[in-house]
Amino acid sequence: MHQQAQLRLKKDAVEMLGAETYVVLALDTYRTRVFKEENWLLGGGKGPFGKEKSLVYATPLSDPAGRASAIYGVSRRALRWGSWAENYPHWFVINRKGIITYALKPTFATPTAYQDDVDNVLKELEKAAQ
Amino acid sequence: MQPTVLIIACLLLRVSSSPSAEPLSPIEKYRRLEFPPKEENFEDGWKDRVAAEYDIINSADLTSLRAALKDDDPFVRAIAAYALGVRSDGTSADALAELVKNDKEYVVRIRAIEALALLKMNPEVIESAKKDPDPGVPFVVRLVAGQIKSETDYAAEIRQAYAKGIDRESMGTAMVGKAAPDFTALTIDGKPFQLSSVLGKKPIAIYFTAFDG
Repeated sequence: MHQQAQLRLKKDAVEMLGAETYVVLALDTYRTRVFKEENWLLGGGKGPFGKEKSLVYATPLSDPAGRASAIYGVSRRALRWGSWAENYPHWFVINRKGIITYALKPTFATPTAYQDDVDNVLKELEKAAQ
Repeated sequence: MQPTVLIIACLLLRVSSSPSAEPLSPIEKYRRLEFPPKEENFEDGWKDRVAAEYDIINSADLTSLRAALKDDDPFVRAIAAYALGVRSDGTSADALAELVKNDKEYVVRIRAIEALALLKMNPEVIESAKKDPDPGVPFVVRLVAGQIKSETDYAAEIRQAYAKGIDRESMGTAMVGKAAPDFTALTIDGKPFQLSSVLGKKPIAIYFTAFDG
C-alpha cells in the first residue's frame, strides 16, 4: 500500500507525462474496491498516510483468478497467513510502442524503500513517454 | 523366436508391469505439489501452484472437495473450502462453519470464512470469528463483511474468471524488451478491461500487488 500511497503523492508528475497507471489485484471486484476506497492498512497510524481515507491513485483492476498476474509471472509467489498470497508486488513500465521497458520487484528492505521504488518508476515512465 | 513374437512378448511384459495409468485427481495433484507454502519456496513451483488451483476450481468434483474438508493436510482443507465457496456449494455451508469454529489451523479458518461469504451463508458464524485469536482471521471477517450483504454474486465472478483457463506457456511471459502480453481484468464496477485497448497509446505503469503489498 505504501507504493500506491507514494504514487498518489506523485500524481502530478504522472499526469504531466500523459501516462496511465494501473494496480492489479488477484482478488474479486469487491475486495479490489475496498483496496481502492478504504485506507485500512495505514489509516489511523502516525505515518505520512495515516489521515487519508483513500491512498490509491492508479486505476484498480480486479484479476479474480490471478490470470493476468500469472501471465506477468507474479502469482502465488508470496506467503500470507500461512498460505500462498495472491501476488508478490511487481512494477512494470510499458512504453508508447507497447514494449516493457522496466520491471521492478520491490524489496521492502527499508521502511522508506517505497519512495525510491516510485521515483525509479517515474524515471522510467519519463523515458517510456519519449 | 520370431521377431514378431518377440515384440508382442515385450509389449505384454510392459503392459503387465506398468503402474496404474489412472490420472491423479485435482485434489491429489495439489497435495503432491513439490514446493509447499514455505518462504524458501517463493520462486519455485509457482506455475504448478497456479495450474493446480485452476484444476481444482474448474474440475474437481464436489464430492471429493467436500471430503477434502476433513483432509489431514491443512492446505488441502483450505483450498477445498475456498473452492466450495467459489463453486457455490451451499450444501457445504455447515461443514465450512464447523471449520471456521474449530479448525486448529488459521489458514483453514480464513478460507472457510471466505467461502461462507461467497455463499452468503451462516453470517453469524463469520461474525463470531471476529474473536478469533489469530489477527488474520478478524481481518478477513472485516474484509468480507460487506460482501456477504451484497447482491452481487462474487462467486460467479470468480468462477467465470477461472473458466477462461490458463496454459503454462503463457505464464511468466512478461519480459523487459518484449511486447507487453495482453490480459483481461475487471474494473471495480465489474466492467471488462483489456490491456491491449490502451497499449501503444500512452506510457503505462502497472503495479501487481497483494491486498497488503
